Amino acid sequence: MDCRTARKRIEEKVDGLLPREAEGELAAHLAACPACASESEGMSAVGPMLAAFVGARAAEKAPRLDAMWTRVRAGIEERREAERRPSWIPRWAWLPAALALAVLALLFYPTGTARSPFNPRSFEVSFEDVESDTATVALVDKGEDLPRVIWIIEDGKT
Amino acid sequence: MTERGKAGVPDDELIRATLGGDEGAFRELVERYKGRAFGVAVGIVGDGDDAMDVVQDSFVKAYYKLKEFRFGANFYTWFYRLLVNQAIDRWRKSSRSSEVRFDESWLSEDASPPDSFAYPKTPEDLASSRELGDALQRAIAALPEHHRAVILLREVEGMAYEEIAKALDCSVGTVMSRLHYARGKLKEALGKHREG
Repeated sequence: MDCRTARKRIEEKVDGLLPREAEGELAAHLAACPACASESEGMSAVGPMLAAFVGARAAEKAPRLDAMWTRVRAGIEERREAERRPSWIPRWAWLPAALALAVLALLFYPTGTARSPFNPRSFEVSFEDVESDTATVALVDKGEDLPRVIWIIEDGKT
Repeated sequence: MTERGKAGVPDDELIRATLGGDEGAFRELVERYKGRAFGVAVGIVGDGDDAMDVVQDSFVKAYYKLKEFRFGANFYTWFYRLLVNQAIDRWRKSSRSSEVRFDESWLSEDASPPDSFAYPKTPEDLASSRELGDALQRAIAALPEHHRAVILLREVEGMAYEEIAKALDCSVGTVMSRLHYARGKLKEALGKHREG
């Protein structure tokens, strides 16, 4: 067995995946190769050391884990409350507001420029929910060569 | 289902009971997995208080996502996915997070074995040496977060490659290469401590 194969076998051994028939060959290589023996020793030490380290860290806070259910329950209640609480502005109210803003934007669109006049037939407004469930995105697309307006309304704030 | 009777109840039944409105059943799941979850969270975020928040937030998220759970799958594998993502998010937002240089030479099979020296071998070595604990902590913190998650799930949780792959939504090959890299880095840290 060469060192390269031995290193693969060492990881298999650490993971408990080394076939029984390969154990003897690996042991013979490790007995003859100090570098691979050291590699094997180091790899084997990582797992128990890491488990002990994390265990010690966890033990420091273990008494506070007793209150975990209280914390989780509080979190569940808080979210439930937030979902139950009506927003002071109903969500649908943003639709006419966004439309009104879009119309205003069109009315006051600079006229002294060389741009061609805006054609209202080509503008669309669409609303999409985003991942958070608390935000609404309004896209105002006024057609080619004109800027696209994106409104993001989150938790009642624009 | 009575509080006392929940101790030996399989996870699937507890999930069904929770979905049916039995909050006590979800409490049993929390009690069952909070210790293991905390061990993983503290390993990823590195701070006990942050880890407590991560575990709490993950269970709250799990409660509201429980209807998406596919019966027949392992609850803890499903839950660990939420937990690890939550912990990684917390780590990224924390001030402890920093740019980590990814040393790709560890992924090469041609990397030469280190010179021969003795490694600290036992948890007792760790208990007796604060410096060793500090060295290990620095080495864990320097791992890219997904590598950290892989080695914690493997070495602390004892999860199989396939379970880790499911929990982290990656391939078994990715799990193996991340494990190889992370083990190598931690071994290097232990070796340097021994040399120093």
